[in-house]
Amino acid sequence: MANILVIDDEKDVRVVLKEVLRRAGYDVTLAANGADGLEKLAADGADMVITDVIMPGMHGVAIVQKIRETHPDIPIIVISGGGNVAPMDYEPGAISTSAYLASATKAGANDTLTKPFERQELLDAVGALLDA
Amino acid sequence: MAKRVTTLSSRLVLVMLAIHAVLLPVLFFAISTVVRQNMADAFVDDSRAQSRIVADSLELDPDGPQSLLMEQLDSAILGGRIVHASIKLRDTEISSSLMSDDDLALFNEDFEFGDHSDNIYYVSLPIVSSDSMAILHLGFDESMTQGHFKEVQRSIVIIIIAYLFITLIAAVFLSATVIRPLRWLQRASRTVASGEYDKKLQTDSNIVEIHDLTEDLERMRSNLVTVNARLRHAQRLKSLGTLAGGVAHEFNNVLQPLLLYTELALEDLPDGSPIASNLERVLELANRAKGLSKQILMFGRLDDDAELTVVPVTPVVEEAVTMIRALLPANVDLRIDIDPDAGHVRCDPAQIQQLVVNLCNNAFQALTAGDAHIGVSLMRKTVDAKQAAGHPHLNAGKYAVLDVTDTGRGMDAETVERIYEPFFTTQEVGEGTGLGLSVVHGIVRRHDGEILLNSKLGEGTRFRIYLPRVDVAGNDEHKQR
Repeated sequence: MANILVIDDEKDVRVVLKEVLRRAGYDVTLAANGADGLEKLAADGADMVITDVIMPGMHGVAIVQKIRETHPDIPIIVISGGGNVAPMDYEPGAISTSAYLASATKAGANDTLTKPFERQELLDAVGALLDA
Repeated sequence: MAKRVTTLSSRLVLVMLAIHAVLLPVLFFAISTVVRQNMADAFVDDSRAQSRIVADSLELDPDGPQSLLMEQLDSAILGGRIVHASIKLRDTEISSSLMSDDDLALFNEDFEFGDHSDNIYYVSLPIVSSDSMAILHLGFDESMTQGHFKEVQRSIVIIIIAYLFITLIAAVFLSATVIRPLRWLQRASRTVASGEYDKKLQTDSNIVEIHDLTEDLERMRSNLVTVNARLRHAQRLKSLGTLAGGVAHEFNNVLQPLLLYTELALEDLPDGSPIASNLERVLELANRAKGLSKQILMFGRLDDDAELTVVPVTPVVEEAVTMIRALLPANVDLRIDIDPDAGHVRCDPAQIQQLVVNLCNNAFQALTAGDAHIGVSLMRKTVDAKQAAGHPHLNAGKYAVLDVTDTGRGMDAETVERIYEPFFTTQEVGEGTGLGLSVVHGIVRRHDGEILLNSKLGEGTRFRIYLPRVDVAGNDEHKQR
């Protein structure tokens, strides 16, 4: 059974994603921030990572870069809440959702989703990457 | 070399002084020469005439006593102006007894006025009678005439100094009249420079240059006021966009679990459960909220996912108009005037259509009476530098111009000022989202266009959208960038 690591600073989002993925038959590990997520990935490994992009502390694009250093092949989906709450350490000019997502893709993310997405959109994206 | 900076009045006075320093001595010399010549001529004529009178009055008797001649010469000297009188008769020199020997020695053939320094003008007059020949020597005192001449010279100097004084005062006064309005302008422009530009610049000066300068400054000031107001407006919209983007972010993070939990709950319910329809309604509302947040992001121009492509703009607008016809009630008078070839623009066609629909929707909301109408027109326009001035997003060049007009109720200045703010609406709460024109604004910005608004309360409104035209290959036809 595939194990998916979900990194999101919003507890409600984390928990509901876990439930949706669990029902779809995946094992899910949760992390509330980038450091925690990378630690769990190093310790237990995972078959896929889903990470939010705009978070306090380490932001999604940096997380993708870090993961790619150790796991060049693991599928990564980046999700974004949209808007323009730019992390302080990240390109002050890039304030748009699409700019974040484009940066994440450039850093090595396999797919991107913009919140709010429906259950089926998520499952389609996850399924496409894990079946490949 | 550092350039010397002086005030205008001191410069004017200096120039005046320099001119006079050259001109006045020349003038003085010329006048003096003419006056002296005149006085000398008069003196000489007078002396000769008097000499002749003395000569005619002499009774020459070569054999008579010398004392008689001497008395006659004495009486000539006593007459006043003559200081030397002697007569040479044959070989005898007879002189007036009133003269010293020194005076006699002075006689030296000085027949020119002012010659030598003895102040005496000598006249020699031959007297011829039937039996004898004599030469009369008379010396005339020049000092009085010289004194007169000095007095005249002094008067000339006084007149020249007075003239100089008057012209200097005139120069100071003149510069003051020129400088007063200049100083006033200086103060006014300083006030403007310091950021206070609400006061209109006006002058009552009747000097053309000052008048024109004031007018130019006033034009600059009023432009500054306009540009400043636009800038403030743009800044506020931008910060609102940033704020809205932040709100949308939080909003989406709430919507996400709401949406997914509802889906999960629906899945858990047995088929035909009465709760299901309510949950489906929740799902619908969540999706509507999702649409709203998308619109907010579009205002902030943050949701720029779609690629811009080069397309002819006419069909895009025509399609939007078809949509509008379907959306608006059939009784609405929609007047269309679209240039069949309005050129190519670099755009997201879906967004341009949304822009047209939103503007028409806004126009429809503004309609009041039955005979009112909505107009949509599309045309080519070339903007020159003069028209572009004052509009930060408008450059000289070619544009496709979209007008959406209505003859509805129009807007007051306060409404116009806030019209693009998200959630700003003049309609009843719940009737409009207040996002329609915010989205229009975001779309126009995204397309490097400009949106201008003309509205008169009770007469209607015209939105004019400028979209930069490109050629078919996508090359910019603008002088910008």
